[in-house]
Amino acid sequence: MSQGGVAFAAAPAPDPTGPAPDGLDEQTLVVRAQEGDARAFEMLARRHQDALYRLAVRVMGDPAEAEDALQEALLDAWRRIGRFRGESAFSTWMYRVVTNRCMGMLRRRRPVPVERIEAPAPARDSPERAAERDAGMAALHRAIAALPDDLRVCWVLREMEGLGYTEISEITRATEDAVRGRIHRARTKLAEAMRSWR
Amino acid sequence: MALNPSPLEPDPGPGPFLACGRDAALVWDHSAAGESPDEHERGCPHCIAAAADARGLDSLVHRMAAERPEPPASVVDRVMVAVRTELRPLDVLTLPSPHGPARLSRAAAAAVLRHTVDGMSGLRARSCRIDQASDTVAGEPGHGADVRITVTARFGVDLASVTARVRQMVAAAGEQALGVPVRRVDIEVVDVYGGDL
Repeated sequence: MSQGGVAFAAAPAPDPTGPAPDGLDEQTLVVRAQEGDARAFEMLARRHQDALYRLAVRVMGDPAEAEDALQEALLDAWRRIGRFRGESAFSTWMYRVVTNRCMGMLRRRRPVPVERIEAPAPARDSPERAAERDAGMAALHRAIAALPDDLRVCWVLREMEGLGYTEISEITRATEDAVRGRIHRARTKLAEAMRSWR
Repeated sequence: MALNPSPLEPDPGPGPFLACGRDAALVWDHSAAGESPDEHERGCPHCIAAAADARGLDSLVHRMAAERPEPPASVVDRVMVAVRTELRPLDVLTLPSPHGPARLSRAAAAAVLRHTVDGMSGLRARSCRIDQASDTVAGEPGHGADVRITVTARFGVDLASVTARVRQMVAAAGEQALGVPVRRVDIEVVDVYGGDL
């Protein structure tokens, strides 16, 4: 109920404009979206889309498929947001929705020959060293694409997004031991692939 | 691959351990983070091999992680078109009208009431739930609405005077902007923001 009588000293100057719509805290946006507020959901989607797209593009290995995965996952999130109970961070929940969508798409797609996996356009850098490093990047992209899907998801969350093992375990619904095992197997496979490339 | 679990471990899952019993992922993490190896790691061939792999891969992995591919701006736009077409059309409030009952989306009505609160200095609406009474009062069909609203307040805002003002503004917005007679407004301050606590 209203907390009558409670007042704080040293009130700051009044804010003439009111809160900027995108200045709302995440919990407020989540509650509003759960109550059917599409604008609040749009703000959440815009805040999280970059990280979610990075996950999708690295798991799918293809920008067009990643775009589809992100689009479908955001719709999944809208339809299911009522089931988000705040047991994990909202970002964790969103990562899980995207991961599920990517895994579903991967199960349905025909295998892409590893030779056709393209690395992104090379960055500008000093000549020979850059060429060598870009070749190394291309080889790493191919090695990542060749990983089993569940290993690749865990590796990307860890090494590309920098998440901790507990959070990855919440996203993938695997035990932490299983997550650490998958990440280690992925790392070992990538190290082997890069040794043979060199 | 050196992935056999130590025989003393009950069931470590699919292979998070090196043959020496060390947690493979942690040995790798320490090496990639540039931490110096402990005494075991300095002498253990399994740990030395894992650490060498970690260092060998590290610069490429870091370089890849520094790439920040961004989604096309159109993705969220397309999602929102789909979201707005599938807004729950059956969740509606009924408004009294001389031409028979009119309907108003409950989510849209809540958005209007939240917007009213957002426009007040130092306040933001969080949850806004509108329940319409089904009983009849004085022979009129029951259209009276009970509003439960939660707000976050900027640090320093006088909550006592603010709740009275919220109640007044929400009731006025319900009746004037929406045409829904407001019977009751419950306000709860659930959080404080912006304080240097």
